[in-house]
Amino acid sequence: MSILVDKKTRGLIQGITGHEGARACREMLSYGTRVLAGVTPGKGGRTIEGVPVYDSVREAVLRHPSINTSLITVPALFVRDAAVEAIANKIPLVNILTEHVTVRDSAWIIARARREGVRVVGPSSVGIISPGKGKIGSIGSSAVEKKIFFPGHVGIISKSGGMTAEIGVLLTRQGIGQSTAVGIGGDQIIGSDFADLLVLFERDPATKAVVIFGEVGGSYEEEAARLISQRKCTKPVVAIIAGYFTKDLRPATVLGHAGAIVSHGQGGYHSKVSALKKAGVHVASTLEDIPRVLKAILRL
Amino acid sequence: MNLYEHEGKKLFSRYGIAVPRSVLWRKGNEPRRQWMKSPVVLKAQILAGERKKAGGILFASGSADVARRSRAMLRKIVAGEAIKNILVEERVAGAREWYVSFSYDTARRAPVLALSPHGGTGIANARVSAIDLSSGVEDFFFRDAIRSAGFRREDVVPLLGIVKKLWSIFWNESALLAEINPLFRLSTGELVAGDAKIILDDEKVCPGERRFISLGGDIAILASGGGASLLSIDALVRRGGRPANYTEYSGNPPASVVRALTKKVLSQKGLRGCWVVGGTANFTDIYETLSGFVAGLGEVKPKPRYPIVIRRDGPRQKEALRMLEGVREAGRYELYLSGSETSISESADMIVKYAYGNKTARRVKK
Repeated sequence: MSILVDKKTRGLIQGITGHEGARACREMLSYGTRVLAGVTPGKGGRTIEGVPVYDSVREAVLRHPSINTSLITVPALFVRDAAVEAIANKIPLVNILTEHVTVRDSAWIIARARREGVRVVGPSSVGIISPGKGKIGSIGSSAVEKKIFFPGHVGIISKSGGMTAEIGVLLTRQGIGQSTAVGIGGDQIIGSDFADLLVLFERDPATKAVVIFGEVGGSYEEEAARLISQRKCTKPVVAIIAGYFTKDLRPATVLGHAGAIVSHGQGGYHSKVSALKKAGVHVASTLEDIPRVLKAILRL
Repeated sequence: MNLYEHEGKKLFSRYGIAVPRSVLWRKGNEPRRQWMKSPVVLKAQILAGERKKAGGILFASGSADVARRSRAMLRKIVAGEAIKNILVEERVAGAREWYVSFSYDTARRAPVLALSPHGGTGIANARVSAIDLSSGVEDFFFRDAIRSAGFRREDVVPLLGIVKKLWSIFWNESALLAEINPLFRLSTGELVAGDAKIILDDEKVCPGERRFISLGGDIAILASGGGASLLSIDALVRRGGRPANYTEYSGNPPASVVRALTKKVLSQKGLRGCWVVGGTANFTDIYETLSGFVAGLGEVKPKPRYPIVIRRDGPRQKEALRMLEGVREAGRYELYLSGSETSISESADMIVKYAYGNKTARRVKK
């Protein structure tokens, strides 16, 4: 099995006529994922890669009632409108690929999603892939994906798109396959955090262990530690936390991702590492440690 | 983007939040006002916290005293920041001090209102209430929050006015933080903002801007990807490498963007090496971005003689490596190339070794 994406995924792409949307569409189709429709207001009636384009989500869902996942690729300024449109149409999974969404818009989207019971992954999410079953978004470009991901039993949750692939490569080379890899995005406010997805991996019989890639800033890593301490996730977790070097930088400095904010104390490197260790998480100090630790845990 | 106090207070005035009378004092502009004859506060306009502890807040009385202390303050460096501007502000005495702020809470993934009838202690001792955006932001919610924070009944309505205005700033200006600490409650009942701390969302103010932070070392860094950049510098620092800067390009930028960034990074002084590093890209065109690097490299004067270690992989990586081998074989640069078969840690070993000596490895003839 897997989480969030599988052979039953029926995709909609909002912003399909744009550069990012069309690329994601090609990528998903070439991976064998069904993309039933696209939406770009004002551009209904045409097709992209054979996929029909509609003017609104309502129309797309009426014509294709089996749509169960929407990928949002519209420019940052239009993300709030597009995401709320998907949520209002009760599409159960909304994956936001777009970067540079304001915290205000993200908070607004998440509040609406909670009320409607919709799951949001992102913004700034590279996508979700369940190897051999399907994918949403730009994760694992077809040019290189054959050597990145393959089916197996390890889940990946990462704030960084690049690191999702990097961890995939390392595991694949060591013969460790993946159940699902999820890019949750490195923004300050995100739709699904480590804890949200650890709960899903806990329930997924195919997943035997989970790797998480975290960064300094915010509290999502500490919350993952809390969840694990409360035994709401009992599967082995291996974590790697980036930002060790930030301990001497001025607090509140923002690094690569908008949520990677230099913090001392809560939110800082040592706070996250010690919270995770206390919860029994294996904290790797380099990427290469991850497959080693996993092999020991899974007795491979 | 963090606003200086005087910028924040301008915003307060625009939204109808009262602030003390003040004027900006800087080198070459020493304003005189009638009210400056009464006791004033001299406030260094710097972004660091705990200004008072660091000596960035002084009291003064009378024009001569103000001038003397202000001039002295302008020569100081407080918490690593040179003081360019001083806010000379009418002193508020005998007031009660409250705390009020709006910010985002990552645990609740929502905006939060923080309130305390004891100012000066910050958010740590404030009562924090999460705002449910899906139910609309109504006055009653703010009133309830004020009461449960321990304010007296008669203070609720006046404070509500301030809270609503601060919320308008927070929401309309796409702020990440809007804080008044302290909020003075004068004996007349009037509420006046003693300080202003505003952080605006960079995605709103300067979307897509490449972050560049000077780290003071001697290895120039050009990293790709938010996560890879942090992890790579960690690996470098753990090996005793000294990064000159933090910068990062992510997504799939055109060559021109990487070229400009390369020039900026390599124009730093005293470099002993350059490290171009990233994870395995999902969709970044490696050929395009590294072509930008080569273009930028060619424009750096004087020509870099130090080792350049490149570790990149992803779409069109093979073409990129061929192109770079051409650049190396032309004998112009000391280039070390690898893809994801070399780990980020191994690549960090390489740059540390080549930049700082032990150059037993093959070296390209100049």
